[in-house]
Amino acid sequence: MTTVPSSRASSRAGCVLALTIALVGSVDVSAHRRDEYLQAARLAIDPAAVQIELDLTPGIAVAEAIIADIDRDRDGLLSPDEQRTYGRLVFGALELAVDGRPLPLELGVFSFPDPEAMRRGEGTIRLRSAATLQPLSVGAHQLLFRNRHQPDRSVYLANALVPESDRVAVTAQRRDGDQRELIISYLLRPAPATSPAVWLLSSLAAVTVLAMLLMGPLLLGSHRPRHDSLC
Amino acid sequence: MRSPVRIAPIIWLGFFLIVAATGLAQRRGTSPKTSSGSAFDTTARIVAAAQAFLASLDDAGRARVQFGFDDGAQKARWSNLPSPMFERKGIRIGDLTPTQRAAQTKLLQTALSADGYRKVTEIMSGDEVLRTNQRGGGPRGGAPTPGGRGRGGPVFGQDEYYVAFLGTPSTTTPWMLQYGGHHLAINLTLSGSQASMTPSLPATQPATFTIEGREIRPLGRENDKAFALINALNDDQRKEVILGSRVADLVLGPGQDGRTIQPEGIRASALTAAQQTMLVELVREWAGIMTDAFGDPRMAEIRTNLPQTYFAWSGPTTNGSAAYFRIQGPTLVIEYAPQQGNVDHIHTIYRDPTNDYGAKFARK
Repeated sequence: MTTVPSSRASSRAGCVLALTIALVGSVDVSAHRRDEYLQAARLAIDPAAVQIELDLTPGIAVAEAIIADIDRDRDGLLSPDEQRTYGRLVFGALELAVDGRPLPLELGVFSFPDPEAMRRGEGTIRLRSAATLQPLSVGAHQLLFRNRHQPDRSVYLANALVPESDRVAVTAQRRDGDQRELIISYLLRPAPATSPAVWLLSSLAAVTVLAMLLMGPLLLGSHRPRHDSLC
Repeated sequence: MRSPVRIAPIIWLGFFLIVAATGLAQRRGTSPKTSSGSAFDTTARIVAAAQAFLASLDDAGRARVQFGFDDGAQKARWSNLPSPMFERKGIRIGDLTPTQRAAQTKLLQTALSADGYRKVTEIMSGDEVLRTNQRGGGPRGGAPTPGGRGRGGPVFGQDEYYVAFLGTPSTTTPWMLQYGGHHLAINLTLSGSQASMTPSLPATQPATFTIEGREIRPLGRENDKAFALINALNDDQRKEVILGSRVADLVLGPGQDGRTIQPEGIRASALTAAQQTMLVELVREWAGIMTDAFGDPRMAEIRTNLPQTYFAWSGPTTNGSAAYFRIQGPTLVIEYAPQQGNVDHIHTIYRDPTNDYGAKFARK
């Protein structure tokens, strides 16, 4: 590619700008989160399951402590076992319940960034889980999500995703002031009834099959040689 | 008495005039055709500007700037973070010759509205302020600085923005112009007479600075219009719109493609006509970044969906405070999030859950 040295690449306007900028006060040159551990949870409700996505982003000032929590053998690497152990630790601090009945949460898929990326405040730990729901009655229900992981250094986000199933409609979300706790009220609608056309076709098919089963021997029988006459 | 031979031309002339007048009237009466034609012309101008920029590069440069339209990794390769903390691909503006840089500027000016171009350049100027203020300063354009390029730390400045194309610039088939760097991501997908500029991330730090005695606030209108709207609501409306919890960051920021959160806040149908107008004008700050030929139909779509659009707020309602807000409709998500309570460091996101990266165009 045709390029010029970077110093030449700077446009004249840019040089003028650099020289004429007058700052209003001092600017904190922070491109990213500093002293907070951002824990962002998203919950997707299906008729038969609840999916949890939890993204954890340590700020620069807390990254070293978080890395130390994960890197138990202090070898500077986050091994799969260490990642799994930390993921389970996090999920152990989560609480999920539907209509007051606790749901067991097990760590599913997870991914961890490079420790260096975390030290720069740009690395996000991604943890996923799905909890199976016992069959619920049609009508109103409440899902409680509570996050007790690292409360001293964390900020939280907790949101319901728009349900993929037409049977689920989120009616309200209530949170505490820090979003450590989220209560999702939702309606579970009946499973859609089979359409009349499908019923008609199914009935016709069933009648046809039944008729073939009943009539089959008779029809086949009319073409069979009458062995009894041979006796 | 006139002969039929002499009357015939008059009849034909009259017939011709009637047909012509009818055609003209129809053409005037069908604004979509006119608008569509205008959008096609705009696409053609953007394509010409893109081709001129590509022509200014050599083969290696063209190879570096060009990606396949279906390159999902490149589509999602944008962030609020500066380089090289976040690795961008394409051509770095600081590596362009003056001629190439002029062609790239012309492309941006053609693709964006005047206000959109102002916003983009002011965001980049804000980054230049950061560079100037960065500890150790250092020359622009990649020379190692304490914590700077070469050590993985952030590098700021107007040179640290990247341009890339997904697909080949065309007046008929979908393609995408990507432009971004620290606090900026523009993903403009064009397909014939249609365009989408989502997801995009206009952000800024600092939020207020001065250049040659002129105060610059890249996202100042977004801030002021939002505070004007929240303060135009009555107490009952505020109860609906204000969330009872702190929102610490963007919910659907970078890396959250394809997700749609449950809308919250007050429905626009519960607002007065004047308040609805204020909400629409607030949305225009994002939708109007595209050039008018595409921004106007986008605004028409947003007005159509207004009854199903929600406005939510978190934080104080006095202008100058750090407050988060969200506008969400069937084809729209806008979030505005001061970072860690700092009004001088703002992140925003603009999405269309039905048409991010021009998904609708690609399906066609």
